[in-house]
Amino acid sequence: MKFQIPIGPQHPALKEPISLRMTVEGEVIVDADIRLGYNHRGVEKVAEEKNWTQNLYLSERICGICSHSHSTCYVQGVEKLMDIAPPPRGMYIRYLVSELERVHSHLLWLGVAGHEAGFDSFFMYTWRDREVVMDLLEMITGNRVHYAINAVGGVRRDLDDLQKAKVLEGVKILRERSVYYFRIGASEPSFVARIAGVGVLPLEKAVALCAVGPTARASGWARDVRKEDPYAVYGELEFDVPTADTCDVLGRVVVRVKELLESYKLIEQMIHKLPEGPIAAKVPRKAKPGEVVSRYEAPRGENLHYIKSNGTDKPERLKVRAPTLANYPATVEMLRSGFIADIPLIFAAIDPCICCAERAVVLTSARSGEESIVRLGDLRRQALERHQKAPLKRNAVWPF
Amino acid sequence: MTDAEIIDRLKADLGGKIVELTHPAPRRLFLKAAPGDLLAVTGTLRDKYGVVFLSTITGVDKGETFEIIYHFSTPEQDFNLRTELPRARPHVESISSLIPGAVLYERELQDMFGIVVDHIPDARRLVLSDDWPEGQYPLRKDWKHERPVEVIPGGES
Repeated sequence: MKFQIPIGPQHPALKEPISLRMTVEGEVIVDADIRLGYNHRGVEKVAEEKNWTQNLYLSERICGICSHSHSTCYVQGVEKLMDIAPPPRGMYIRYLVSELERVHSHLLWLGVAGHEAGFDSFFMYTWRDREVVMDLLEMITGNRVHYAINAVGGVRRDLDDLQKAKVLEGVKILRERSVYYFRIGASEPSFVARIAGVGVLPLEKAVALCAVGPTARASGWARDVRKEDPYAVYGELEFDVPTADTCDVLGRVVVRVKELLESYKLIEQMIHKLPEGPIAAKVPRKAKPGEVVSRYEAPRGENLHYIKSNGTDKPERLKVRAPTLANYPATVEMLRSGFIADIPLIFAAIDPCICCAERAVVLTSARSGEESIVRLGDLRRQALERHQKAPLKRNAVWPF
Repeated sequence: MTDAEIIDRLKADLGGKIVELTHPAPRRLFLKAAPGDLLAVTGTLRDKYGVVFLSTITGVDKGETFEIIYHFSTPEQDFNLRTELPRARPHVESISSLIPGAVLYERELQDMFGIVVDHIPDARRLVLSDDWPEGQYPLRKDWKHERPVEVIPGGES
């Protein structure tokens, strides 16, 4: 007997609106179908109405986690169309932010994977450590989510020696923590048992369905745009492309932890090699007629922007292909012959986006209903005070 | 294989079928074929050049015609295969028999440009909603968004 179970568009197990329709026989999924479009905002149409600079900020808002990926992919295409080369220092700072973004995205994903697998302490550890890289990003760019560091022709903010030292310090802590996760992930038996053999995507299927990023690499397909199409500074830097051959969620965890370690290597090289000089070049307002295909390795995989210019200050066409879209056919394949209980884990394993970073907390008084905005530091102080004033709770003893 | 070698081989293998072959930047090749030759060219690229990965399909409204570009890539080169379809009869053959991952992008093309993809295994809508009116294709240049008049139940207070 077959049943169809709709999951989404709004569902507690999903972090973004998408409709998964599962055909199940008992506990086993026999077929899956994905329906998109609940978050379609018409960005490609809007882009045709905005000028080159405005589109930079528009493309940054395509995604809430890999925001820098989209704006960088767009801006490196526009720079090719305008035939300008940003100064090397600007390039290094831009791709330094790229790698820091990859670190934050992968740490976030590791936490989500731990949470979906029922390993919540892993989730709390990774997200605590993610704050280190978020603070670095805020220090360099001034923002936590939409960094807005890119400008056509370079970047908007420079890096001083103190900041360089802080980045290196942060990377040292993060590397230590990531090595620890690597050990936990590889030796915690219950976690491994939960994720091993779940969401299997064989290599030939990954190739046929054009999977990208860590999803493809966990199936043993070593494709990385940074390596095969070395854009900007990646040709001058040393790094490896980690892969796994288990083709399951376990492989995807291992690949992402290894990628974290590679990113730390890249960040350190970029800081040490950071050239002197200006950070941005002067750019024309219009681009010559032409077209360009810009590829970028986002945390989730290959990001592709096709930009066509007609000689004015606005693009004729901007086509965006985000990596999550490319991984949907592969997700359907992974879900087939899995269990209902594995759906959140498998779906989370391709790393679809979540929005984050609410800085101000609004507290509503339970008695009067009054609202007040509280700063994070004050909130922490209040929490500590409350904790100190509760000796009973603090010194509670198990009564036997 | 270097770009120059690839170009020579492409010219030898596909001479008649490639209308235009440009090489604007390192590792970027732009090929143009007639809509009828699309499957044959894709097949040759896949079998002889190891082109198995399709990044996406871009549609461009050029007024009288629609241009569609298939962005393929191998670890060495990007192959961008383009073709032009008349606006009056925008039909193109599906390449999903050769590259199964193409279905998603072909569905997107049908939604946004109203290009009919023949023999597509799954012709349902992808990004537009189910109650989207027929014959409205948002990425065509002559399509303009008009915000529907907001009706407040009970009238304005």
